[in-house]
Amino acid sequence: MRAAALKAGATVLTVATTVLSSLYVTSHLKNPAAPLQPTVLRSGGASAVAGPGGTLTLGPSVQPSDVQPVTSTYAS
Amino acid sequence: MRHSAPLEALRFQALGTSCSLFAVGLPRDRLLEGELWTRRMGARLTRFSPDSELSGFNASAGRWVEISPELEALLRESLHAFETSGGLVNVAVLPSMIGIGYTKPMSEGRPAATMTQSRPTPALPDVLELKPGAARLQPGEGIDLGGIAKGWMADRLCEALGPNGLANLGGDLSAGGPGPAGDGWPVGLAGVTVLLVDQGAATSSVRRRRWGGDNDHHLIDPRTGQPAKTGLEEVSVVAASGVEAEVVAKTALLVGPELAPVFCAARALAWWLSP
Repeated sequence: MRAAALKAGATVLTVATTVLSSLYVTSHLKNPAAPLQPTVLRSGGASAVAGPGGTLTLGPSVQPSDVQPVTSTYAS
Repeated sequence: MRHSAPLEALRFQALGTSCSLFAVGLPRDRLLEGELWTRRMGARLTRFSPDSELSGFNASAGRWVEISPELEALLRESLHAFETSGGLVNVAVLPSMIGIGYTKPMSEGRPAATMTQSRPTPALPDVLELKPGAARLQPGEGIDLGGIAKGWMADRLCEALGPNGLANLGGDLSAGGPGPAGDGWPVGLAGVTVLLVDQGAATSSVRRRRWGGDNDHHLIDPRTGQPAKTGLEEVSVVAASGVEAEVVAKTALLVGPELAPVFCAARALAWWLSP
């Protein structure tokens, strides 16, 4: 009698946990538009621009800018 | 976020090239200290002066000699560069440089092309031994620190300039901190401005320091011991540090146009390849 009660209790607990988990998951759907943390300035791989003098490739950690450079890399 | 502290700049000639130092919120005296350090290091590391520490080491003819912590650090960096470049960045190219007539600074006139025969550069670990405070170079070999010294010095200067500074030694540069406007240091790369934060950049080229014929220039290919001819003439690279950018740029130029994009994709953060 006591063993049957324990089995029944365990079954009820398992079913209840499953149902509650399902309810929680379905009510907390992943938002595909949620922002990434930390912010990714530019996702994806490198971007390459071919010009007459060669090809420039910028990886995601190097940002282009329109401001005047303070200095440059060059051959010396 | 904009910084209210002023941008201080200092430009000067040293190491046979144009140099510049920048810092946000730092007194000009600190930049002048950087210039003096650059000149002192240049005098110790040049191969063109017989009195320099490097020339003394090159003339040591197989003996163990005491070296300064700075030269030791640079020689260790050179051994590291040899390993990471697959042997293509090899500072033991001095005999080949002398062989092509590059025996004096370009500012003192064009070298006379004199090479009649060449040999591949020996592997650096086979000719250079290091232990704390001392080094030994095999007789008949020689070291030219070249761009590695400039990249390494730019990194050290950038550290000395505090949390927001940039050092540019002849195109080998190191940028630390968020820059004058807080979004990175604006640096020219192949005609485009890029924003660098705690990164370095360098350019390797056969278009400068040329003389004589079409293939007389200063960049030696250690595989042949002769001036490099790989199908690429100029490579600029952004990497994690100035010395890393220098090593990657030179390696990419030496591996040529087919392998350079793959190599740069693995080792660089941005790159310019010009045939």
